[in-house]
Amino acid sequence: MKNAAYKKNLRKLMILAILMLAAAALYMLWNVNFTNPKFLKYSLSLRFPKMCTMLIAAFAIGAASIVFQSIINNTIVTPCLLGMNSLYTLLHTVVYFFLGSASFLATNANAAFVVDLVLMIVVATIIYGYFFKKTNYNILYVLLIGTVLTSFFGSIQSTLVRVMDPNEYESLLVTLVASFDQVNAEIIILCVILLGVLAFVLRKDLALLDVITLGKEQAINLGVDYDRCIRRLLIGVTACIAIATAMVGPISFLGLIIANLGRQIMKTYRHSHLIIGSSLFGMIALVGGQLLVEHVFNYSVPVSTFITLSGGIYFLFLLLRQKKG
Amino acid sequence: MNVQNLTKKYDGKAVVDTVSFEIPKGKVTSLIGPNGAGKSTVMGMISRLIAKDAGLINFEDKDISKWKSKELAKRLAILTQHNNIQMKLTVKELVAFGRFPYSGSRLNQEDYDIIDQAIAYMELEEFRDRFIDELSGGQRQRAYIAMAIAQDTEYLLLDEPTNNLDIYHATNMMKTVRRLCDELGKTVVLVLHEINYAAFYSDYICAFLDGKIAKFGTVDEVITKETLSEVYKVDFEIMEIAGKPLTIYY
Repeated sequence: MKNAAYKKNLRKLMILAILMLAAAALYMLWNVNFTNPKFLKYSLSLRFPKMCTMLIAAFAIGAASIVFQSIINNTIVTPCLLGMNSLYTLLHTVVYFFLGSASFLATNANAAFVVDLVLMIVVATIIYGYFFKKTNYNILYVLLIGTVLTSFFGSIQSTLVRVMDPNEYESLLVTLVASFDQVNAEIIILCVILLGVLAFVLRKDLALLDVITLGKEQAINLGVDYDRCIRRLLIGVTACIAIATAMVGPISFLGLIIANLGRQIMKTYRHSHLIIGSSLFGMIALVGGQLLVEHVFNYSVPVSTFITLSGGIYFLFLLLRQKKG
Repeated sequence: MNVQNLTKKYDGKAVVDTVSFEIPKGKVTSLIGPNGAGKSTVMGMISRLIAKDAGLINFEDKDISKWKSKELAKRLAILTQHNNIQMKLTVKELVAFGRFPYSGSRLNQEDYDIIDQAIAYMELEEFRDRFIDELSGGQRQRAYIAMAIAQDTEYLLLDEPTNNLDIYHATNMMKTVRRLCDELGKTVVLVLHEINYAAFYSDYICAFLDGKIAKFGTVDEVITKETLSEVYKVDFEIMEIAGKPLTIYY
């Protein structure tokens, strides 16, 4: 249906893409010393991996949030509810608590990333795969279980932190705040490959998302194998969140903002547009936020502060608006 | 479509108990009965939305569970009462989803023609670009019917289509059901609460009581004082208007 609304959305996506590229270029070139090629090369080599990380994280979170919201059929939920953030926090705390901040897992970023990722995906697949079957594919139970697990992981973590050596805690805290500073090139390549594989494996299920938002009955009516499709997509969502979280830390609150901005601007049911739109919003937000952090606040505030602050305000706005409408 | 010994149990209690019947092709069949008699559960099972515990549902001489879901979607359209969409979707886009079993998300010219015909058939042209959540209940119901028409199936299963509609829209809904059967040759099965709509617009009626079929037959066979009093446990008077039996209950 190549109608006016479709073309309008394509135009909006183009504008977003241009804005994103502008933000990226600004980030790469702000305050760079052009006169000396050595300085130029040095600052670019510092900034380029950071920017790639932000773009990848924004894509993973944007896609995961849109898919998750469409599965649940509710636009004010985020995949945070699945408890992946608290699982990540707990895993790191356990490593620091039992192995110490000097251990191999704590100092080697690549090893930590792989361990985080594998553990999160395994735990999520087991927990959600199992409970999903057990509760007859009732998505509300899955949400409830996610909420319970979040506080369960959180309690264990805070108990460990309470009895922890303060110096260890100090170094632990750094890894628990989302940041783009410690990402290696190998991790970036690995993430891109993983996301690519994920998108390829789930391409058929993603194409069914438009129909799934019509509701379970209509989806079955139109010939969708609903339960199987939902299960695969949910595992895909957790994998996406696991990748983003393992890469930059707990940041998926961002998903709520960008998914809703995407939906608000695009006003469409097409998930291809929604996912791209939300990802672009995420990229703009992260790169813009990082620009502020680096050049205005001189690294005194982490980017997650902005995200949580603006996210909270936006969330309240969404709630109030829903009540009115 | 024929059903043999269909059974569904919740917590050991059979809500549908060894029900067998055959749905006449090219006719309108209404399932009636008091609340909890099992008519909606039977509807859910024959439309594959609810898993059956025992029994056999043969659709076109093949067990319904052996059908590929996508193939079934080309022959059997379902419309339930629960249709809430969070998405911003226009009428035209909703109706276009009816073509999903045939063309996926890539529609061809034939699909667009069928969508336009379905919209015209339900007289929705002036609403085609309106969002679904901005329509009234009656208009929305019509949009869903248009989607089912676009799905171009031989069978159409409607679960309480007149629910939440006023007399005007409910009557129009029933007239549409009749037209779908008479003009497009569809086999329509519907769950109804209003006995008079069932009596006036159906060819066959299946009355349920306590998970079993109390009576299945033509309208004249089922709409009798005795049968209805037994099923609904209230007094009935039957009158004849325009050659159809109509009921009065109090």
